Amino acid sequence: MTRSGFTLLALPVLLALTTACTPRLALEAPKEPITINLNVKIDHEIRLRVERDLDELFSDDSDLF
Amino acid sequence: MKRIAGMIVVAMLALSSAVLALDLDSAKAQGLVGEQPNGYLGVVKATPEAVELAQDINTRRRQAYERIARENGITIEQVANMAGQRAISRAEPGTWVRTPEGQWVER
Repeated sequence: MTRSGFTLLALPVLLALTTACTPRLALEAPKEPITINLNVKIDHEIRLRVERDLDELFSDDSDLF
Repeated sequence: MKRIAGMIVVAMLALSSAVLALDLDSAKAQGLVGEQPNGYLGVVKATPEAVELAQDINTRRRQAYERIARENGITIEQVANMAGQRAISRAEPGTWVRTPEGQWVER
């Protein structure tokens, strides 16, 4: 009786411990890489747009180069 | 009459830009001017024609860089440097380009 009571108590405690821990880990880890990736992506997109604009300047119609 | 005059002006502009394009290419081929990392044409041999050509081209390049910079929210220098990199990497053999250290070298 005392033994099954112990397991009955231990189970929710274990559950509470594990559920309390996992979200903390999941939240902390990806924070920094995500912001870095976003910055790189924006920079990359602008770069592509500027390269496309420069294509016009370097085309035969333009006499700048 | 006004329309004819307008057409003549347009034709002359088209012609002058065609002449100028030839000038830039031949000036490069003659080694009078060359591309620089800053995106502007540099004078290698300072003849009056070369100086005038470089000034004209660079004024118009600056206007184009300014427009592209404004449209993309970056600085004129950033656009100009990207253009300079491209111009140097595309430079024809026998033309002159300037290194980032300021040395003129032949392609």
